[in-house]
Amino acid sequence: MLRIEGLRKSYNGMEVLKGVHLELREGETKVLMGPSGAGKSTLLKCVNLLVRPDEGRIFIDGEEVTSPKVDVVRVRQKVGFVFQEFNLFNHLTVLRNVTIGLTKVKGMSKEEALRRAREVLEAVRIGEELWGRYPAQLSGGQKQRVAIARALAMDPVLMLYDEPTSALDPQLSKEVLEVMKELSRKGVTSLVVTHELDFAMEVANSLAVMSCGLIVEEGPPSEVIRNPRSSEARRLFCRV
Amino acid sequence: MQLLDYIPFLVEGVPWTLALVFSGLTMGFSLGLPLSLIEAFGSRGAKLVVDAYVWFLRGTPLLVLLSLLYWGIFPSLGIKVSPFIASIVALGLRSSAYQSQIFRSALLSIESGQLLAARAMGMRDSQVVMHVLVPQALRIALPSWSNEYAIMLKDSSICFTLGVMEILTRAKYISTATGSALFPFLIAGLLYLALTRAGVEAIELLHRKVRIPGTLGGE
Repeated sequence: MLRIEGLRKSYNGMEVLKGVHLELREGETKVLMGPSGAGKSTLLKCVNLLVRPDEGRIFIDGEEVTSPKVDVVRVRQKVGFVFQEFNLFNHLTVLRNVTIGLTKVKGMSKEEALRRAREVLEAVRIGEELWGRYPAQLSGGQKQRVAIARALAMDPVLMLYDEPTSALDPQLSKEVLEVMKELSRKGVTSLVVTHELDFAMEVANSLAVMSCGLIVEEGPPSEVIRNPRSSEARRLFCRV
Repeated sequence: MQLLDYIPFLVEGVPWTLALVFSGLTMGFSLGLPLSLIEAFGSRGAKLVVDAYVWFLRGTPLLVLLSLLYWGIFPSLGIKVSPFIASIVALGLRSSAYQSQIFRSALLSIESGQLLAARAMGMRDSQVVMHVLVPQALRIALPSWSNEYAIMLKDSSICFTLGVMEILTRAKYISTATGSALFPFLIAGLLYLALTRAGVEAIELLHRKVRIPGTLGGE
């Protein structure tokens, strides 16, 4: 489903990704952990082509998306992205936030888009009474679930989550994590940057630890968390 | 003729003034919005060109610009325009410089995360502008834009120098014909006050209708 080979990225001469290799099979959930500045967010942005890597190759569904010939916009439609800060469109209601991509990007009719929005909003447990509200009228947890619905509505082959619960208090985080767990159990292929150990233990098929632009350890979550082999992972899980 | 008999003649200047204002604002908007997008998201070179345009138009008195266009630029290009059209062009160009700054601030106040999210879902840049940036920028800019209306309305009186039959030109005619300055200019002032108030109120009403619920100033 997703294969990353030797990915490198620098900003102003500073190397953020130093040759990352990563693989994710269809239906799997992989959690990516690591200290701040490890390059986790940059890696996700490279997968979605929001950031162009300097070197290396990314394959999604067998297609090399880093090839210069590839239509970036088409690739982005295949990859859902959920941000830490929700990034909902403030001027649109919950329903319009979900349907705008469907009508404007995918070219669906209004009726089709509404039907799809209904499905995904129900899947993330956003009740009909909230559909007419604007983002500023929602709680953080509700905003993040709408953001997940917006990404999910596009029917992506892969979901990327960039610390989706970091801006939320524990109660609201729980709401969002429940939805993410449910999606993972349903087989939505996901790459998740998070510090939530419970999430990793419960639903992730594998856990990768990133440090200084490299993946330093990878394996089943329980094994990596309980018996970390690398010094970076030991430091990380002692602190967590 | 009594002074009061001149009131209809003076009031007939209102449509002229409003035509100058709305045409000037429309031209200013049509040029100012694209300019603001260049200022906010354009390349360095394009920004420099827009900066120079804005710097020139904001730094030049309207009367100078009007005279330059009507007596200088249009004749030298062999273009014959009426004083009314020349006035609209001058007001519109000047307003485009100010409106570009109003919209630029509004555009830059939109969280960059929304742009990122729009791109992440596969929107092309033109779609991001049309569906995410502009609808929000217009709402945010509306209160500042009402100032632009008020300023434009008052500045339109400068067009009397070209003889456009707006309110001030008519007040000046009445003053010359009757030898009285107090009455015509007082009525002209009251007309400007009424038009300013009505326009600002209308824009405020529009703002209340379109503002984003839950955000500052929204419900």
